[in-house]
Amino acid sequence: MSEMWINMGPQHPMTHGLWNLRVQIDGELVRAVDPEMGYLHRGIEKISEDRHYNEVITLMDRCCYVAGMAWEHLYILGAEAALQVRPPERADYLRVLCDEFQRLGSHLMWYAAFVQDLGLMSPFLYGMRDRDLVLDLFQSFTGARMTYEYMRVGGVRNDLPPGFADRSRKVLDWLDDRFREYDALCLGSTIFRKRCDGLGVLKGPEAIAHGVTGPMLRAAGVKRDLRKDRPYSAYDRVDFDVALADSADVTGRYLVRMEEMRQSVRILRQVLDWLDHHPGPVVADRLPRWLGAPYAPVGAEGYLLKRNYPKGLGLSAIEEPHGEALSYVVNDGGEHPYRVKFRSPVFANLSAASTYLVGYHVADIPPIMGSVDVCVGEVDR
Amino acid sequence: MQPQDLQRALAPKLGERLLGVEPFAGTAGRVRFERTAALETFRAMRDDLGFAHCAMVGGIDWVETREVLYVLWSDGARQYALLSTTVPANDAHVETASGVWPSANWHEREAWEMVDITFDHHPDLRHLLMPDGYAFHPLLRSFKLHEPEELEVKVRHV
Repeated sequence: MSEMWINMGPQHPMTHGLWNLRVQIDGELVRAVDPEMGYLHRGIEKISEDRHYNEVITLMDRCCYVAGMAWEHLYILGAEAALQVRPPERADYLRVLCDEFQRLGSHLMWYAAFVQDLGLMSPFLYGMRDRDLVLDLFQSFTGARMTYEYMRVGGVRNDLPPGFADRSRKVLDWLDDRFREYDALCLGSTIFRKRCDGLGVLKGPEAIAHGVTGPMLRAAGVKRDLRKDRPYSAYDRVDFDVALADSADVTGRYLVRMEEMRQSVRILRQVLDWLDHHPGPVVADRLPRWLGAPYAPVGAEGYLLKRNYPKGLGLSAIEEPHGEALSYVVNDGGEHPYRVKFRSPVFANLSAASTYLVGYHVADIPPIMGSVDVCVGEVDR
Repeated sequence: MQPQDLQRALAPKLGERLLGVEPFAGTAGRVRFERTAALETFRAMRDDLGFAHCAMVGGIDWVETREVLYVLWSDGARQYALLSTTVPANDAHVETASGVWPSANWHEREAWEMVDITFDHHPDLRHLLMPDGYAFHPLLRSFKLHEPEELEVKVRHV
């Protein structure tokens, strides 16, 4: 009778989304865990098979509700590889801009939610306040705060509005100052340190074997960042460092994400400078007609073009705010993707839950799961 | 790492069960193998070639056959590699990779419930995203979301 299973979720403040963590406990000790997923499954991969290539982009925003732009980027890279389309250079830089602002937005959201889990209420408000500045910037050039639908196969939808660079630089300067305050609030707080230091330890080799990626892996001292290792878009033309920590615990993950935000600011400054001096097209010219307008009436010529989809499989990988996101898009020559498959970093990080939860106390679960940064939308798809 | 390197390392171990290594853009190559050689291929990829990270296992339904696609990553070579094996649709099973890469566990559960590929000796092959007892495999091509006729709007002229 000493051991029993309890449900943490699907409605539990720790879950940050809709999922259920089944925990086997012995007194206050965690003996085994079994995450139960699927509450948010919408069949995005299946719906994609019935859609035109550009119509899938709207679904990608819904994949991860805090990092929609990164998921658009992932899908677009896969579709472009399958369809053999190259975007212009300015679009590459605009995509990096989107990705890094999205990383800031996602990490600020994580900061707000994670620190609130620990019982520190004011950082929550600061995190949400600063994330709103990033969302304001997104709104100014995509028209949306969450579901952007900004990237296109072969480029992006539109260029930046006038004055965007100045507004962005103001936000970046503001954020740079705020990171110091965040650290003072958290790392200087005894409550924070007592609830985070030495918890949820997941060392490098075990993390690799269990497929853990992103800040969780880098907090264990493994230097793997797809932006450096396998640069996509314009990441090979910007200068930044990979954030690393070696404690492999909750505090380590906090440090890595904070450093990543600083590096994002650094990347964004370079990208904004580049964009100032290199005007140009943002969509590939000579785009096949069928990519430009899915519903345009097609004549005989258009019909012929429609039959000319290259066949193949396109693989893409990006460093999403949560870790390594992968996708493949299979094209069989039809006008819809034959098969789309996504690898969500949180999916893999959650599947390793037993490695970093077993052996700790029940009260340690909220800080540990908070440091994983769960986004259920992309796990369940 | 080049496709030839994969070929050189795998050919002695797999013999004829290695069906070929072809170049694939952005990766070290795409390895095709017979499903009977699954475990040897996984072990050789991990131990001899250093692909310690299994990023994804996915299934593709080609109607008469089904393809299992593994995406691996090597921290040493900083490269991906693809493994793929094709199984007949009426006998779709392959040895599990979760003994070699624990990360394959959930991906295989998903491939089983979505594309109906059974992974032999999997420690925990049960539903992941779908409820227990769900009788369909939604990512099969035969699973239709709707028939196009149903969406037609009937317009009444008055």
